[in-house]
Amino acid sequence: MRYGGEGRSRLLLIVLIVSALFLITLDLRGVGVLEGARQGTQTILSPFQRAGSVVLTPIKNFFSDVTHLGRTRNQIEKLRTDNAKLRATLLNRKNADAQLLQLKSILDLAGTAGYKVVNARVISQGSSQSFSQTITIDAGTTAGIKKNMTVVAENGIAGVVKEAYSHTSLIMLATDPAFKIGVRIAGTQQIGILSGRGSRSASLQLLDNQTTVRVGDVLLSRGSVANRPFVPGVPVGYVTAVDNSAGAIAQSATVHLYTNFATLGVVAIVVGASSVNPGDALIPQKPQPTPIPTVTIYVTPSPTPTN
Amino acid sequence: MITRQLSISAPIFILIYGVQEVIVNQFRLPGGGFSIFFIFALVWAILSTPEVAAFSGFASGFLMDLSPSTSGPIGHWTLIMVASSYVISYLGSGNENVKGNPVGVTFFISSAVFFTEFVFVISGALLGVQTGSFGQVLFTIFGISLWTLVITPICLPVFSLLHDIALDTRSKI
Repeated sequence: MRYGGEGRSRLLLIVLIVSALFLITLDLRGVGVLEGARQGTQTILSPFQRAGSVVLTPIKNFFSDVTHLGRTRNQIEKLRTDNAKLRATLLNRKNADAQLLQLKSILDLAGTAGYKVVNARVISQGSSQSFSQTITIDAGTTAGIKKNMTVVAENGIAGVVKEAYSHTSLIMLATDPAFKIGVRIAGTQQIGILSGRGSRSASLQLLDNQTTVRVGDVLLSRGSVANRPFVPGVPVGYVTAVDNSAGAIAQSATVHLYTNFATLGVVAIVVGASSVNPGDALIPQKPQPTPIPTVTIYVTPSPTPTN
Repeated sequence: MITRQLSISAPIFILIYGVQEVIVNQFRLPGGGFSIFFIFALVWAILSTPEVAAFSGFASGFLMDLSPSTSGPIGHWTLIMVASSYVISYLGSGNENVKGNPVGVTFFISSAVFFTEFVFVISGALLGVQTGSFGQVLFTIFGISLWTLVITPICLPVFSLLHDIALDTRSKI
């Protein structure tokens, strides 16, 4: 016998497993007490998460720089030449400027479409131990946010409000495997369903087997009844690959989402949309290549040699 | 005795849970990152008797279920953690190659994280929890396991000391 009182130990194990199954049953049947417990936890944690977000921002920036070391090498070399004080100031300013830039882009997007938005800062990234992709923001029901509202970032859709608490909200990101949104292709107006895949690339399933999709096609949200969970016209992403497998019921494609979820600092929640569908007005402009001026210099040799 | 152990253990569990939710969750690390609370719960289980491990697994699983970012129904992680903690403790009890050796504990915990996450995905599929493509899930599980392999040796002395203080078992590594 490996361990004394094994019978008692097994009895305890059975009791605990049955209790866990009981909890699962209660939750799946929609008992409010358990959902309230999760809400209560978020309410307790939110002030600490907010404080943690403020305190840990420099460390997060440091980790972000380490992660993107290859891409920011030139910037790091430049920063090395600055003195320590300037570097610290720059680090703090960089974060504020990036958030300001994101906020400006979000407001531009919302202004063009006539959306009424509530801006919020990301205070926590969800744990990925459960394979979900979520963030927590510092605005909740007191700011007018409700469950199932569209969340936009600087370039397009970021996700949807999964839960709204009094001062915070939980956002399901568009990368979450459970995320689904009805989309239409700009121009051709073909419709389909886009699903998250855990990364920045999502999968598109067209609804009509007679229609076709091409690489580069831009996808916009199709909108929902009463604009919840999705308002129409929000840029979602563009097609990067088309699956032309024979025998498929409808065409499917891989989509690159516009929003960069790794740098998400500020988001906006659409709390009201105009009655007019913005159509294709929100499609991001393709970057224009900057023309490189060519200067031709003609040199005429002097008639007399110089010493 | 049990009251004393519970009164010391409960704040420790809540503190580590708070660290996970407030600090660790602020970082989006490559490969899915790590869960310090998850590692703590499994270390606690391996150092405890199967009875205590099952009970602590229930408590830690319930706390993980309360996390707002957790997908799936409440009770899912509770079920997984009860079973996982019991099995870990049962396999580790009496085996000094695992329990008495920090390297052994580290590899044992990393393997346990891998299998626990795997069981979570399988049982989640039965409960209708969407976890993404197979490749993405595999990448995340490997990522979390590797992170656990890195983080566990750093945290192990602290967790072991806390276990020793709370349960007075003289099982400090």
